[in-house]
Amino acid sequence: MAANKQQGSSITLFLLGFTAAGAGYAGFGGGISKAILAVGLLLLAFAFWRFFSIKPLEGKVALKSQPAVVKLAGLAINIAGWLIVVFSVHITKSVGGRMAGAILGILVSLLSLVVVLPSACNKNAIWK
Amino acid sequence: MKMTRRIAVMCALGLCLSAGRIAHAASTPADAELQTGLTKAPTTADLQKGDPGGSITGTINDVPIGDTKAGITSVDVANQVGQNKVAVNFVWTLVTGFLVMFMQAGFAMVEAGLCRVKNANHTYMMNFMVYACGLFAYWVIGFCIQMGGAAGNGNLGGLQSLVGEHTLSFFGQSWGIFGQSGMFLAGHTYDVGVMVIFLFEMVFMDTALTIVTGACAERWKFATFFVSSVLMGAFTYPLYGNWAWGGGWLSQLGVNAGLGKGYCDFAGSGVVHAVGGLSALACSLILGPRIGKFNKDGSSNAIIGHDISAVLIGCFILAFGWFGFNPGSTLGASAAGCLRIGSIAVNTMLAGCTGTFGAVLYMWSLKGKPDASMSGNGLLAGLVAITAPSGFVSTAGAAIIGLVAGVLVCLSVTFIENVMKVDDPVGAISVHGTCGLWGVISVGLLADGTSNYGGSWNGVTGSVTGLFYGDSSQLVAQLIGCATLIGIVFSLTFVINWVLEILMGQRVSIETEVAGLDIPEMGQLGYPEFVFKPEPEILLAANEAALA
Repeated sequence: MAANKQQGSSITLFLLGFTAAGAGYAGFGGGISKAILAVGLLLLAFAFWRFFSIKPLEGKVALKSQPAVVKLAGLAINIAGWLIVVFSVHITKSVGGRMAGAILGILVSLLSLVVVLPSACNKNAIWK
Repeated sequence: MKMTRRIAVMCALGLCLSAGRIAHAASTPADAELQTGLTKAPTTADLQKGDPGGSITGTINDVPIGDTKAGITSVDVANQVGQNKVAVNFVWTLVTGFLVMFMQAGFAMVEAGLCRVKNANHTYMMNFMVYACGLFAYWVIGFCIQMGGAAGNGNLGGLQSLVGEHTLSFFGQSWGIFGQSGMFLAGHTYDVGVMVIFLFEMVFMDTALTIVTGACAERWKFATFFVSSVLMGAFTYPLYGNWAWGGGWLSQLGVNAGLGKGYCDFAGSGVVHAVGGLSALACSLILGPRIGKFNKDGSSNAIIGHDISAVLIGCFILAFGWFGFNPGSTLGASAAGCLRIGSIAVNTMLAGCTGTFGAVLYMWSLKGKPDASMSGNGLLAGLVAITAPSGFVSTAGAAIIGLVAGVLVCLSVTFIENVMKVDDPVGAISVHGTCGLWGVISVGLLADGTSNYGGSWNGVTGSVTGLFYGDSSQLVAQLIGCATLIGIVFSLTFVINWVLEILMGQRVSIETEVAGLDIPEMGQLGYPEFVFKPEPEILLAANEAALA
């Protein structure tokens, strides 16, 4: 089952919730802005609950499970690479040292991007 | 006697008053000259005779006078000069922004042309709808996050109402993280200058969002695309945009850490294209490949697009729009180095040209044919790569950057498909992600130090200069920008879309994918009067296996 009315109404709720939450956060409505924010967040939650409840109607998809632990590990390695870069700026003042730190950090992140995450996402790929 | 005295007093009073009036009316020689000029200006009677040569239209008569009693003064003229400068810059920024908006049509044609005919409507609709999704999200909160603290742009009148950058303190320094002014463009941000910068930055944001639709085409559920695009326009893109352009920490690397002029990205190889390309990679990984793209042994099958003419015409529309993208990023045509707009436009053209050459010659030499779709991607690769350095390099530098990008995109497409086993129907990850990163790095290599945008960049005096022209620290700043794109932007998009996969499901059903997304998702074929040719055997076999 592809696009349907429930999807349409859920998208409408999502947009209404997003707008209300934004208006409440921005302080519109003066004293009742917190209430508007709360209403917006509730609408968003309801919209996502509806999306979740109609998800099974889609039927079988050409996508099998992807191992969550490996994906999390991949993300952690990716972010760790960035942290190496950022901290190298503060650990050393020399341009050469910072350059080396930046290149090392990027390589660590690329390891995740090019090896770890694709292997996790393709582990149970439909073509295997 | 009394009468005589009275008359004498009145005459004396009259003389003093008229002397004072004359002194007030012409308090400086310049003012006197201006008022003399006013008397010699064309009169209404002169203008009523018509002005075919334009020699008496637009004169001192058109300068607004602040105080009619005082007459025209040099202050009036100075005010008009200031207003003219800002007006010229407003018009420039808006018109170039309109050109960038038109790039949406180019992206739509390129992506739909590279997809199969059964998915044409859906692919066009994603590119159509992403404009509305992104614009709305950006208006609600995205612009606030990106530009909420970006006050100080002299080209557009100062933008002084954009005060509010949230900062964090690390290692004794203050680093900008996100803006806090401008949600819904309300309150003090309801401002003529802010409206101009909003439009310009919005169309850039939309370019980043539309890149993702290309990589995820032919299997992305329309509802999930909708929500994903809103979230990207609201949070992911604006966050990096703030760090690079909104006064955030990446731009402060020069001031805070002595790294060149901080992260420099003139028109968005990183902010727009690499953000889009890396987000596209994240979404493609989660979505998985199309049915029939890969065989059991891991080899890939070419899935040919249905309309190469749309692809190439779309590429030209994009190339045209890029004249708004790069030159428009001066945010003006008057003052602060803005006369460099011609140089930036020529750099843009040249990089596109050599990018095309790079791709065509690579494909022709190694594969035997000047492949049309890769030629188009080569043009785009060159344009993407020059986007960041366009304001800082010479024409030779631009040509080199484009040529490298043209070859790089061919290598990257092969690597992503055959090594990473990621399916990208249009090559968006390679064109925008890989070549976007190359563009960011090329600033750190080839910026020649001759540009002058008001004597400084990112608060550091001097001109942006790369490694080959004497400043290696600039390359470090660029690499930090690249690391942030790969480490943070990619991760953020991956997490958001992973959550959406759990809550909504990213992918359409097998039946929908085999039949084509047009009818199930859109309710209508893109070309309802065409008789569709059956798909190649290998794809038909894969479809049957998936359905079984």
